[in-house]
Amino acid sequence: MKFPSPSSAEAVIAVSSLSRHFGTKAALDGVSVFVPRGCVLGLVGENGAGKTTLIKHLLGSLKAQAGSVLVFGLDPVLDPVGVLGRIGYLSERRDLPGWMRVDEFMRYSQAFYPKWDEPYAAQLLEQFQLDPAQKIKTLSQGQQAKIGLLTALAYRPELLILDEPSSGLDPVVRRDILEAIIRTVSEEGRTVLFSSHLLDEVERVADHVVMLQHGRVVLNGRTEDVRGEHISAVLAFAEPQTKSPVLAGAHAVTGYGSEWRVLVGGSRLELETAAAVMGARVVEQRTPTLDEILVARAGGKAS
Amino acid sequence: MNAGRLYWRTPTGAMLWEIWSRNKVSYLWHGAALGAGLCFVQWKRQGVSEILAAVLALASLASFIGGYLQLLSCFAYVEVDAAKVKAGYPVSLLLKPLRTFHLVMVPMLVGGLVTTTMLAIWVAFVLKPLGLLPVYNLSWISIVALSFFWWMQALAWGLPLVRFRSFVMVAVALLHLTVGVMPQLPFNISPEWQWGILSALLVSAVPFAWVGLKLMREGRWDGPSWIFILWSRWLRTRAHGRRARFRSAFGAQFWLEWQRQGWLLPGLSGAMSLLVYPFVFFVGFKWSGVDAPPPEAILALILFGPLLLSGVMGPSMAKFDQLGSRRELPGYISVRPMTNGGFVMAKLAMALASSALTVLLNVAGACLCLAIAGKGNLLSKAGLVTPFGPVSYLTGCLPVLLLLVIMVWKNLLAGIGTGLTGRPWIANLGTAWRGAAGMGLISLVLAAKFYEDFRETLLHWLTAILIVCLTAKVAVSIAAFVWGLRRNAITARAIGWIAGGWLVCGLFVASYADHVCGAINQPGLRTWVLLGGCLVLPLADLAIAPLALAWSRHR
Amino acid sequence: MLERLPKLENVGRLKGAILLLDTLPHCISLLIHYYIMQLQISVQDGAPIYQQIVEQVKLLMAGGRLQPGDDVPPIRVLAEQLRINPNTVARAYLELERAGLITMRQGFGTQVAEGKMVLPKREKLRILSESADALLANARHLNVGLGEVITLLRERDDAMQPKASK
Repeated sequence: MKFPSPSSAEAVIAVSSLSRHFGTKAALDGVSVFVPRGCVLGLVGENGAGKTTLIKHLLGSLKAQAGSVLVFGLDPVLDPVGVLGRIGYLSERRDLPGWMRVDEFMRYSQAFYPKWDEPYAAQLLEQFQLDPAQKIKTLSQGQQAKIGLLTALAYRPELLILDEPSSGLDPVVRRDILEAIIRTVSEEGRTVLFSSHLLDEVERVADHVVMLQHGRVVLNGRTEDVRGEHISAVLAFAEPQTKSPVLAGAHAVTGYGSEWRVLVGGSRLELETAAAVMGARVVEQRTPTLDEILVARAGGKAS
Repeated sequence: MNAGRLYWRTPTGAMLWEIWSRNKVSYLWHGAALGAGLCFVQWKRQGVSEILAAVLALASLASFIGGYLQLLSCFAYVEVDAAKVKAGYPVSLLLKPLRTFHLVMVPMLVGGLVTTTMLAIWVAFVLKPLGLLPVYNLSWISIVALSFFWWMQALAWGLPLVRFRSFVMVAVALLHLTVGVMPQLPFNISPEWQWGILSALLVSAVPFAWVGLKLMREGRWDGPSWIFILWSRWLRTRAHGRRARFRSAFGAQFWLEWQRQGWLLPGLSGAMSLLVYPFVFFVGFKWSGVDAPPPEAILALILFGPLLLSGVMGPSMAKFDQLGSRRELPGYISVRPMTNGGFVMAKLAMALASSALTVLLNVAGACLCLAIAGKGNLLSKAGLVTPFGPVSYLTGCLPVLLLLVIMVWKNLLAGIGTGLTGRPWIANLGTAWRGAAGMGLISLVLAAKFYEDFRETLLHWLTAILIVCLTAKVAVSIAAFVWGLRRNAITARAIGWIAGGWLVCGLFVASYADHVCGAINQPGLRTWVLLGGCLVLPLADLAIAPLALAWSRHR
Repeated sequence: MLERLPKLENVGRLKGAILLLDTLPHCISLLIHYYIMQLQISVQDGAPIYQQIVEQVKLLMAGGRLQPGDDVPPIRVLAEQLRINPNTVARAYLELERAGLITMRQGFGTQVAEGKMVLPKREKLRILSESADALLANARHLNVGLGEVITLLRERDDAMQPKASK
């Protein structure tokens, strides 16, 4: 099942044919993403693939040079109040005022959101074990991620956008953050979009996965479907190959001599046919992990 | 690497190369400033009137101050970590296999040599020929400046030793000021003593810096001292007493602006007028018995100080985070659900509060200085200030103070239209434009003063010129407001506040000046003052500001 | 999907034997559960996460760790505990409900269905046959005969016994 059509009224995020250039470099090229209400979308891709650029477009920090961006049916550039009031955002670099204390920052953020839930915020504060009198610049990275997440969650936003929430954090803090995200997801009607390099997190938490590469969408579907569409197989050739065999549709080919491991998109039948054409037989095959798919695809050059 | 450049391969060579290559552009600017100063001297040598000479002296003084401060910042060898809000010796060098003495001496010697030489050149070839600093010995000034530079370096580096570094720096600066004017003080201090004190001051900077760097290398960074622990404990108890929520988003944004920038002007200006000036007056006049200058001069000095200060601080008001030089909107502000107009209104409110507080503090300082200088009796001078007479003296003072507040407020908002765009080149362009416009205005006034026929034509056309300018200003503002409304950058209410405020302030300025100018017999003066008053107050700048902010927020 | 070890060209026989031994406890531990409703989700595994949950719950029930009438944690709680998407847990619960293994009632939460859950022998053997296939494939790779494998199994079973009785 693919995403609902662009005309669906339930689409919380509707990005169509978005393009963005920084100088001559194309950061985004014809990206279309539709996120229905209640969906958890994982955005993956290598560094520089365009994830943060796409997220900045959703917040209105970047204007669309071509294509359109609609969040809750509104343009975030033209109506920042209407859109940003319903989004909770945690940026990759955390972007926190180092000079403020934790309680001051909470008080400051609270003034902007009428739906701020004070008991919930206090509960999160205790759960994250943050000292309200401490200055943000003296907090560790994990604590800074926690306070950023706290101020994004406390007013129960309809859309939660997280840019690399676990980057640079130790496993204990990562667990806390993941638990907080899952709790948000459990609540009715809340949509989550997060980008991550930790693909096992994406597989666990995300309903849908969108993979960006060189500013283009290369994968787009449900998490289990995406894995099922790829096969990691070992091909045995009759004779040792002097150079890397070229298999149609293969994302990665590694190996030596007469045994080569390939990662292809497509069905088992297609793979066996293609292998037979090349004079090889399929010795073993399995479903690759999302990690392997990403690495294999990332190894490909920009087309 | 070129084999011939072997000298770069020594550690000292590498440090020197780094100082050179990091600040190439600054050296160019400094050279340009020096060149300008020399041009002014040449100009004066060709024979000019007294007033022009004074103007040239002021201009060269300004370029000297700017150039010298820039040079100081290049050679101070301080690295700023905006994220951790720390500044000190470049940390990466502390890890190199060099002795601490080496690390201390290279920047101190090189910096000291260069800055002192440049200062000597400035004083000898630019400032003295233009008539500034006539009484001071060149060598005395140079050594005082060198000592000041070394102490600033040492304090900037000596992280572990010094709490509340900014206050200590100010105290040390004041100490140098006192030592610097020692030859001119009325107490009879023999030259040997003077030089002795200065040498002691100079030499003690080096071990201080050395100890500071050594402690940093040993890892004894800012560990909390007992003062700090008590302070943070008190903060903790304050934090647990829950503070009231902000009434609105506007209130929260105003609080943020105040915390970051609002208190700077009142703090600086208040410190100057409540601490520095009384101290100077006390030492200079009361203690030594020298007769104080007339009260008008004192009042002028103290009350117009904020105007100058706010003019300097104006462009930086457009920033959101004072410490970094980033002009962009920080992330934690740009994702708040607030219109651009709302952010601008918060800045306006902060600037107003800032200027009101500044003027209040300065008035208090002025009264204090007058009392110290023994010129407290001002009632007789009331006629000069207001035409209402001594009975309603106090109510007569109020318009002056309000006018001052408005002027300081205007100065603070000077760079807001261009500064909020977030592009440094536009902000610099705006500053240059304002500087050029100011210069142009001054030269117009001077020309009108000295050339009769020019003055006649100018006065003939003045009303027309003012009307045209005013119309253009209003047209631009209306266009900006309409555009802003359409793009949702500003609400109608904010427009009402801005336009209404402009009108009210303009009328107030005009009516007050009207009263004052009523005594002067000049046809058309009233219209000129009315139009000029409205022209001087910012409207177009404020109308453009939300659009500029939108341009920065949505790139 | 069959899990195959990478080709063991250059691995000595001793190392191979150790690898073989490594697979056995993994197979056997599926039967012996020391945790109650503590499921282990592996993302690396070929099977989708909801399927892993379904299988493990079935095994818990078959092993007697989950008795009929026992409370099953609500979707939210299990999702938070395992740190996975609640929709995945919901899907697993739906499958279990469809299979008649749990009942979800408004206001009472979710419980294990009444009636003794007997995993038919066929089902049990099906689950085991996957591990058996993996074991036999490894044995074939290492050129270890069937008789030796059976002897090894008996040895390991003896070694396991004291643990099971504790």
